[in-house]
Amino acid sequence: MKRRNFLRQTSGYIALPTLLRGLPLTAASSPLFSNAIGEDNDKILILIQLIGGNDGLNTIIPLDKYDILGNARSNILIPESQVLKLTQEIRMHPSMQSIKALYDDASMTVLQDVGYPNQNRSHFRSSDIWNSGSPADEIWNTGWIGRYLEDCHPLYPENYPNDTTTDPFALSIGSVVSETCQGTRTNFSLAITDPLSITPLANNTIDQVPDTPYGRELAFLRTTIDQANEYGEVISEAAAKGSDAYGPYPDTGLGEQLKAISLLISGGLKTKIYVASIGGFDTHANQATSGDPTTGNHAELLKELSDAVYALQTDLKSQGLEEKVISMTFSEFGRRIRSNASLGTDHGSAAPMMLFGSCINAGIIGKSPLLPDIPELSDGVPMQYDFRSVYSSILIDWFDIDRSVVTNILGDEFSYIPLVNGCNQTTATEDISLTVNATVHPNPFYAWSTISLESKGEHTRIGLYDSIGHELDLIANRKLSQGPHEIRYDGSHLPSGNYFCRITTATGVKTMSMIKVR
Amino acid sequence: MPSITKAADKSISSNIGPGMISRYSGPWNTERAAHLLRRTTYGSTISDINETAKLSMEEVVELLLADLPLPEEPINYYYEEDPYVAVGESWIDKKYINGDNPLINARRRSLSGWTIKALLSGGINIREKLTLFWSNHFVVQATVVQDPNFIYHHNDLLRKGALGNFRKLVKDVTLSPAMLRYLNGNQNTKNAPNENFARELFELFTIGKGPLAGAGDYTTFTEEDVSQASKILTGWIDQGYYYRDDNPAGAIYVNSRHDTTSKQLSHRFNRTVVDNDGDNEYATLVDIIFEQEEVSRYICRKLYRWFVYYDIDETVEVQIIEPLAQILRENDYEIKPVLKVLLTSDHFYNICSVGPMIKNPIDFIINLLVQFEISYPEDNLEAYKVWSRMAELFAGFGMNYYEPPNVAGWKAYYQEPLFYRTWITAATLPLRQAYTNAIVSGQAKVRNTVLTMDTLKIISQLDNADDPNELIKGLTSFLFPQPLTENQYTFLKSILIPGLPDFEWTVEYNLHLNDPTNEEIKNAVDLKLRKLLLNMLTMPEYYLS
Repeated sequence: MKRRNFLRQTSGYIALPTLLRGLPLTAASSPLFSNAIGEDNDKILILIQLIGGNDGLNTIIPLDKYDILGNARSNILIPESQVLKLTQEIRMHPSMQSIKALYDDASMTVLQDVGYPNQNRSHFRSSDIWNSGSPADEIWNTGWIGRYLEDCHPLYPENYPNDTTTDPFALSIGSVVSETCQGTRTNFSLAITDPLSITPLANNTIDQVPDTPYGRELAFLRTTIDQANEYGEVISEAAAKGSDAYGPYPDTGLGEQLKAISLLISGGLKTKIYVASIGGFDTHANQATSGDPTTGNHAELLKELSDAVYALQTDLKSQGLEEKVISMTFSEFGRRIRSNASLGTDHGSAAPMMLFGSCINAGIIGKSPLLPDIPELSDGVPMQYDFRSVYSSILIDWFDIDRSVVTNILGDEFSYIPLVNGCNQTTATEDISLTVNATVHPNPFYAWSTISLESKGEHTRIGLYDSIGHELDLIANRKLSQGPHEIRYDGSHLPSGNYFCRITTATGVKTMSMIKVR
Repeated sequence: MPSITKAADKSISSNIGPGMISRYSGPWNTERAAHLLRRTTYGSTISDINETAKLSMEEVVELLLADLPLPEEPINYYYEEDPYVAVGESWIDKKYINGDNPLINARRRSLSGWTIKALLSGGINIREKLTLFWSNHFVVQATVVQDPNFIYHHNDLLRKGALGNFRKLVKDVTLSPAMLRYLNGNQNTKNAPNENFARELFELFTIGKGPLAGAGDYTTFTEEDVSQASKILTGWIDQGYYYRDDNPAGAIYVNSRHDTTSKQLSHRFNRTVVDNDGDNEYATLVDIIFEQEEVSRYICRKLYRWFVYYDIDETVEVQIIEPLAQILRENDYEIKPVLKVLLTSDHFYNICSVGPMIKNPIDFIINLLVQFEISYPEDNLEAYKVWSRMAELFAGFGMNYYEPPNVAGWKAYYQEPLFYRTWITAATLPLRQAYTNAIVSGQAKVRNTVLTMDTLKIISQLDNADDPNELIKGLTSFLFPQPLTENQYTFLKSILIPGLPDFEWTVEYNLHLNDPTNEEIKNAVDLKLRKLLLNMLTMPEYYLS
């Protein structure tokens, strides 16, 4: 496995990283990009981490796949009569009544089947991948938000806060900082539990520390104390000024976190990133109640999520702040298509992400999940969108960051997804089309099959994946001239079974099922 | 897999030559003894440190690794409505009624109090730190397992096996009812295999996950191994729930749930075939996994991160981990010989190994209490009330003993690049300061007991405590892993005797020594000492070990 070390500090000088395939990230230190993030951009992103791996198929439910789901997960599947209707094709878990109201108000987007190639099914590894924004086979030790913030604040935490940057860049609600905000020198997020009770800490030494492991840990402690003190004042002031006009927030863990966040936003804190989290999604057992799948652990979690997000949106709206904030859920993976005998589901692959806010492109992005007719025990939901497409689109559209900088932050160029809209949408769009015009024939196939596609003249990547997300073959990865193309694929080496062909370009994504037979 | 650290750009090993694992041959003194005790116990008094400094390093390590009798079982300390257990008696293996929440809560509280007691009474022995190490390795979460008896049983199993054989411990844990429930082993049947335990058995408990070498192949094991191992492990259920008259925690093998087909592991385990062998198959599986040398490296890295430092670079990997792993294998996976070599190694006492570990919350909380000899009610039931209440501190600090955040344990021991730094945030720092303030100022009232420290008794154990410079230096080497700077000594002296010449302390302190019953003099000296200690204990140096 390749290990990459981003920007490693060498005595006060920042070494230039090699972020891209061989391309040095000289941009980080060049004035051209130091204003890459418009300083006047006052947009805020709230990340809501669903810890444990959310069962996407029981959250956003494809009505057209009920036959398959009924066979594969009958003990936990929500009866068709009980699900909430989003579109003709797409339903939602009945616990999410309040989120349904946001959807109806054009304040919610479902992005179908987000994941990454070569899905890793370890919680820890996959969380690291989502937090860092790395490819599955590389270990990156910084977070995607951390790299974004470091891009224009490369010396942080030295001389921060200062006259021009008074507020913390990121706040993580809870007692640990968020790995998404890890920079090369330090973590950009400050952890707070209660913005209304922040006490100053004693710190009365300014002496140099020795250049030893002991000295470095001591320096870390002192810096953390100083920052907690300096930022603590600003946070306390904002909390005192702010209000939660809408109330009450649900008395739940997530409800409390989002309430604290809203209070600080309302108080004018200029923090750009907030991280909240809710645990318990690792539902190997008792995800649903025997005999009544609409209840159970998963139902309770979705209700907690739904009610808390609804309270937040309503609050922000009532204070006229809804156009400043987008919230977004993420989870390390989805779960298997087949349930287990313990009324639960095991670690799977892709799952939908949900975005909230009045400036998002409300509706459903992506097709109904591509499920094999008879899923294998180990099958997860194949991905339609790469999570780094989501990150890059958010950075570009929400934080106004130059595309080339975003490419550096994420190590590659990813398909663009129009997640942000003009803030004045009134109804959700049922099918936000991002597709590539392509077909595959013959399908099922024996040895050869041909992919026909209409290129817009873009760089095009075509990969073949197995049902648990491993990329088996890279069929094409080049710029295709504008017009029709036919690409022959030799799959004679493959065992028979279900595969997926995934085409990505800068403006579209298409995943097609391919069945190999003998 | 060696890790390249980001938090520290220069590794511990960078200025160490060959022979890092060879026996430490430098001076043996109070500083070295204090370092050893800080890393292996939950706190030592000044006398403890002085006494151990008089022994040889080998003798101290012998003490640390000695087998101790087990703590007394947890008791019902207050709940008179318990129909099965009288107040003052052990509730282990006793029945309870499912849904009787006050009863279950009473037992949970008892378990918490019992745990604090065990930590406080750990003495000069490594077992308590190892028990928590294993709890962080073989994680179960109380909120998932529910039954307090199972949680006790699991902890007891880890404590009993803490200094024993790693392979045996893996086997025991496989049949731990708490684990069967936590990772759904009890729902793993031939018709519906549940992979949860099998996956973690490879990934977290024994061999670790290597780089992705191919589809579903993690170098050390494969997805196929997970699937085959879950079949091997079918048939076991936890026993001893509320519905029986007695409630002995254990595991039962049910043959009808067991997959009797032959299972074949991947090339990572030489495609070994495991034929049906009923209730013995799990042990065979563990034996097969332990044939891979990587198991010894994996656990040695974890021990290193727990006892030495988080940064395992190439040098540490080659010079420490590899030789330790070899010792482990040569000793058939017995833990003691490995710890013995590690704790007497040159590397362990190297100046770069002293001090860079941020104390975890349990270490921090218990250390203060043990170092300052805080006393508890003499009546055991009353003391239990205090301890069970104090256990709530752990959760507040982010380290609930029986509730690691997930099956991988606390992030401080695996999450790159922060590792130990995970413990320190703007949210947890105020808690550390508030806690020391409360204890030092004598305002920590738990139930009806005020936790008090006798500052004069503490400093009476120091040589030349009547000299303010010696006093501060003595406390420094007692409390901090490394010396302070001259500025810091000056600052601390200005706290003890603001604007006064040194002899004023000598005079005042001797006044007290010559007239120890004079409350007025005593209070004046005590107050100065508390002020000094308050300043010292809120210095970040105190968070380091």
